[in-house]
Amino acid sequence: MIYTLQGKKNEINRQSLIIDIFIWAFLILAALFILAPTIFMFTASLMPANDILKMPYRWFPKGFYWQNYWQGIRGNDGSFIYIRNIFNSLVVALAVSATTVIFSALAGFGLAKYYFKGRTLVFMLIMATMMIPFEAIMIPLYLVTTKLGIQDSYAGLIAPFLVNAFGVFLMRQYFITFPDEILDAARIDGASELMIFRKIILPNSIPAVATLAILTFKAQWDNLLWPLLVVQSEEMKTIPLYIVKFMGEKHTDEGAMMAVAAIASIPILIVFFKLSKYFLGGAALYSSRKG
Amino acid sequence: MSKRIPTYSIERKKARWGWIFVAPTLIFFSLFSFYPIFNALYTSLFKKKLLSLKPPDFIGLDNYIYLLKSPDFWNSMRATVVFTLGTFVPLLIFSLIFAIFIMSRKRFQNFFQIAYYSPAVLSSVVAAVIWLLIFDPRGLGNQWLNLIMNTPGIDHKWLANSVMVQMSTMMVYFWKYVGYFTIIFIVGLAAIPHSIYEAAKIDGANDWKNFWYITLPLLKPTTILVSIISMLQCLRTFSTQYLFTQGGAPLAPINVITLNIYYTAIRDHRIGRASAMSIILFIIMLLFTWVQFKSSRADEISY
Repeated sequence: MIYTLQGKKNEINRQSLIIDIFIWAFLILAALFILAPTIFMFTASLMPANDILKMPYRWFPKGFYWQNYWQGIRGNDGSFIYIRNIFNSLVVALAVSATTVIFSALAGFGLAKYYFKGRTLVFMLIMATMMIPFEAIMIPLYLVTTKLGIQDSYAGLIAPFLVNAFGVFLMRQYFITFPDEILDAARIDGASELMIFRKIILPNSIPAVATLAILTFKAQWDNLLWPLLVVQSEEMKTIPLYIVKFMGEKHTDEGAMMAVAAIASIPILIVFFKLSKYFLGGAALYSSRKG
Repeated sequence: MSKRIPTYSIERKKARWGWIFVAPTLIFFSLFSFYPIFNALYTSLFKKKLLSLKPPDFIGLDNYIYLLKSPDFWNSMRATVVFTLGTFVPLLIFSLIFAIFIMSRKRFQNFFQIAYYSPAVLSSVVAAVIWLLIFDPRGLGNQWLNLIMNTPGIDHKWLANSVMVQMSTMMVYFWKYVGYFTIIFIVGLAAIPHSIYEAAKIDGANDWKNFWYITLPLLKPTTILVSIISMLQCLRTFSTQYLFTQGGAPLAPINVITLNIYYTAIRDHRIGRASAMSIILFIIMLLFTWVQFKSSRADEISY
């Protein structure tokens, strides 16, 4: 009796060991597949073009072929416009992050902590904008921008993204649990509503603010469609537009192309590895948005 | 009565501040969301050319009728639907498997989450140029596939063949977003109380039964959420297809609806027709959102 039980237990152990090994192998293989293209970009950015498309691909560059980076930054025409384009992307992404955080926090606070007639309607209207895909309104927006004469400028690049419904929702959810007693205590002490917002609400909402700022920054860093519509001049292009242009040029070789892509990715990857909890938290927050 | 007056004025003051706080956002949305969508609806009823000075002609529903008869539009619908289905089904299945496997590990949970999520951080333009090189005839795509299928020296025409180029765009999208949805599933899994599994263990359930009778049913809201979000995202795909056609891939197989809107408006200058397409896209997405709303209401789970 004891022996058979022991045998059965061994069998179960062996079975679970096999499953265990299978899961590890699966996860590691998947990780390799997912990481490979990024690693490919970085290794290829350090190789001369002939080596990149050699079969089989050599994952370790022989030396560091820094000329790719020089070529990428210099551009095929030697204008160094990429530096200006990176700067543009930074300006747009930072400005949009700042306005999104401020307006979302204000609106979220107003919706969470103040009772006024039509509050639910206002909230519903703001949430309804989530259902309007940007792709459906880009043409009217483009026409408005040209009418206002702000196409091909920072104002034109930034204007349609000053605030978004997801941000308002996020901040509202965050503020709703904030204790009313603290706000009332501040009011009794004579604080104005704006002071309450600045001195109590904002300092106490750093995690939500950071999450929203990072997600907004990332989305703008990635934005291709809108700049493609409003930007005409080389000086006002953002990183995605530069990459598209660089790719289309005859003299671009694969190494320089990967160097340009790597330069565009390094800042955001550093931010990601440093602040991964906000990225991962952001995905989680997004998933809870139905409330 | 006289006692209530001060409270009343405080309430009024607070109400005013509430309006002041939401006003900037509300004004913004009126100008940059509601006005444009009504404008698109309005423009879609006109024959309007970009840069043309003559006033647009009112043509009623002609733009819509034209589109419904146009093979080019139906090709775009086909490309969009194929892309959406072909991307979101693998996304859903693999992100669920990844999430369950990662959660079953005692170590390296964080490592796998960060590794799987990392492509989502890269911009979609960067993703497209990396994969364009991978799909080069001499690139890694052929090398890998030939290694797996043991077919040395065969070119699978990742970007040239009309079926393969659709697969290629799906693969880029899958690669980029599978980690994102894995995280959402992990959050859903983490919300299932451990006590349920312990109770099941006492009742003699094994891992497989646990998964089938506990995890999967309790994950239903997350699963619905992931499918809707990923479908909505896939319907809006633009960058990958745009970059691929810029990189020399044929347009027709991957001419998704957003790409078609862009080309109709910017290259062909047909603003009215492009607006009509925008409105159709909007209606499709509205339907999906409505389904999401319905299903998330019906599936509230309390533990």
